[in-house]
Amino acid sequence: MPLSRKIAYVDLSTGEIDIKPIPLAIRKKYLGGRGLDMYILYNHIKPGIDALGPENVICISAGILVATPSSASGRTHVAAKSPLTNFIGSTNMGGFFAAEMRFAGIDHLVVTGKSEKPVYIWIHDGEIEIRDATKLWGQGAQQTQQLVKDELNDREIQVLTIGQAGENLVRYANVMTLLKNAGGRTGMGAVMGSKNLKCVAARGTMDVKIAHPEQALEYNKKIVKEITSAKVSVTQGKLGTPMIWGATNSWGGVRTRNFRSNQFEYSDAIEPEAIDEHIIGWAGCFGCQVHCRGRYKIPSGPYKGVYGEGPEYTAQGAFCGEPGCDSMEALLTGNHLVNDYGMDVLEVGSMIAWAMELYEEGILTLEDTDGMDLKFGNEKALIEMVHKIAFREGLGDILAEGPLRAAQRVGKDSEKYLIHVKGMSNLHSDERATPGLALNIAVSSRGSDHLRGRPAIDLYGLPESVLREVYSQPVKYDGPLTSHWGDYEGKPWMVRWQETCYAAVDCTGICKYHTIFLGPNFPNFEEWSKLLYLNCDLEMTPKEIWDVGERCYNIERLFNIREGLTRKLDHLADRYYDEPTKGGVPAARERTIDRDKFEKMLDEYYEYHGWDKNGVPTKATLKSLGLDNEPTHTL
Amino acid sequence: MEDKKTTSERTAQGRSSGKFRCMNCMERIAPPAGAKQVKCEKCGFEWRISWLGPTFPRCRGPVWEVNRRLTEEALKERNK
Ligand code: SF4
Ligand SMILES: [Zn+2]
Repeated sequence: MPLSRKIAYVDLSTGEIDIKPIPLAIRKKYLGGRGLDMYILYNHIKPGIDALGPENVICISAGILVATPSSASGRTHVAAKSPLTNFIGSTNMGGFFAAEMRFAGIDHLVVTGKSEKPVYIWIHDGEIEIRDATKLWGQGAQQTQQLVKDELNDREIQVLTIGQAGENLVRYANVMTLLKNAGGRTGMGAVMGSKNLKCVAARGTMDVKIAHPEQALEYNKKIVKEITSAKVSVTQGKLGTPMIWGATNSWGGVRTRNFRSNQFEYSDAIEPEAIDEHIIGWAGCFGCQVHCRGRYKIPSGPYKGVYGEGPEYTAQGAFCGEPGCDSMEALLTGNHLVNDYGMDVLEVGSMIAWAMELYEEGILTLEDTDGMDLKFGNEKALIEMVHKIAFREGLGDILAEGPLRAAQRVGKDSEKYLIHVKGMSNLHSDERATPGLALNIAVSSRGSDHLRGRPAIDLYGLPESVLREVYSQPVKYDGPLTSHWGDYEGKPWMVRWQETCYAAVDCTGICKYHTIFLGPNFPNFEEWSKLLYLNCDLEMTPKEIWDVGERCYNIERLFNIREGLTRKLDHLADRYYDEPTKGGVPAARERTIDRDKFEKMLDEYYEYHGWDKNGVPTKATLKSLGLDNEPTHTL
Repeated sequence: MEDKKTTSERTAQGRSSGKFRCMNCMERIAPPAGAKQVKCEKCGFEWRISWLGPTFPRCRGPVWEVNRRLTEEALKERNK
């Protein structure tokens, strides 16, 4: 049976393990991965609980197409209440873990409670064990994975682990697998740490049945051709996501020195082509032909010779644009450290840049920094702060709390220097010149987030006719659409469309780079309809898959509203509205977000989702999505 | 399964090669093979180029001094 994979509940307080089938009706509503995880969180998490307490529930899951012959179908999703934002916690990662968990018979692992001592969960061919992890506690992500493979004597095991940051409850600690695959947002590593859960290991040899195997393979070949022939994929396979830096920094979209500028001038030394000189090979995730992960060796400094993977565009932001450093050594070293300690590179870079600006403004002094000269451009201080955050030493202990809690501890007007939404830092891009992208980060369901609804193709100046083709399916849209990234018109629909697209792809377990994210002509609802039929025997129209995405987004919204989300929080930091941009091409210069126009976009955006003026889903919307009786506790 | 082209297949027919968009005016630029930098014929902004293949140019970044000067001039004009 194609959909025979199970859901497993593990209670770390009692040691109880329960494995159950997943009803087909639930599959059709949520597919798997993020969608089903969100259903579980909404049903199992009581409102107002402490995200770092035993009541929190953490889900680790595979999308419904994971480990099938569908290109790039290897994504793992991790979800819980976020200790960073207190809203939905959700993170999606590459690598091979989800596929291995599926080969071992499990699609969704739901962990509750708290173990008295460090443990890990071992999933193998339909069996689940809780094992002692005392020896693993205190180890970095790399060493932990090796030690587990040694202990269980199998090199094929895939491990999802936390590093020291998760153990130390850094509120933006990651879940990691292999060298750099990071479940890197919303602090899921801290939730694992709070449960004394060091890692989950999986190994399986069970067949994943494919409904129509020959046709599925044939169809996948077609999709692979479509993807690998796109210019953006070729570029990504040669330069990784740093490719984004070239264009973005050219026109003025790179957040620099904690929002002091939107362009990192003369940054030639850390451009993707410069990084490429240090790359010794390219790696990819399960079933992917793009191979966007560069492997490198640190060229100099105390970590000389250590291997790392990446760095991504986000690491360039964190260790270059934000702190104002153009050092390759700092970039590659910082990237290695956050991956081994298991911390969100984006949040680390943002918190340090914020502290640097506070230091330059005199809000933080040498006394606060333990004598460290924390000015912009000081790469030594930058790397030192990475260690301090992971181990919560000195100022690092404050920064480890994430934006809002850190600002509360520092006081003295420091909050106004934060670049965040809902307590989560923004990507190291500057959206003051791009209203569509600004709206996206303001409304995203997991706090400021480019991966939840960014209409990235808005930056390409595509003809309106192409935009209309893309954004008028699988549901009709005949409102405005404009080609310029500086406009306000038409952007609310683009954001809302992308949110639904990204939610749906996260339910399938396919990588976002294989749908309409960085390229306008990538597979989406129509292709997924075929893939679901060929691989899982699920007959669903593109519109029904759209509804899955929409259901997922609405249940996230319901969760957040239950935790106190209001319209007020769907806004940007004041600096977006008040402080004009200083860098980039003329169209990106002297730009702020217009408050009135932003409100209008927000109204429209709510309306497109079927939400009222306060951003609350209407009864009719919930009814049409079959969410009017939630929580139903079916699973 | 029906064999009609999907949206992504239809839009893929408009893919271009040998060009990249000017990061200022969005015009498509086709630089001469192997060129290290290029000037946009429409707006005059200049870009450094890297080559991913013999016919695959990519905008590496601005020619900083030139684009900075042109931007300052444009802003002066805009704010007159
Ligand atoms: S495009 Fe990159 S991140 Fe996505 S699956 Fe392929 S290798 Fe992994
Ligand atoms: Zn131009």
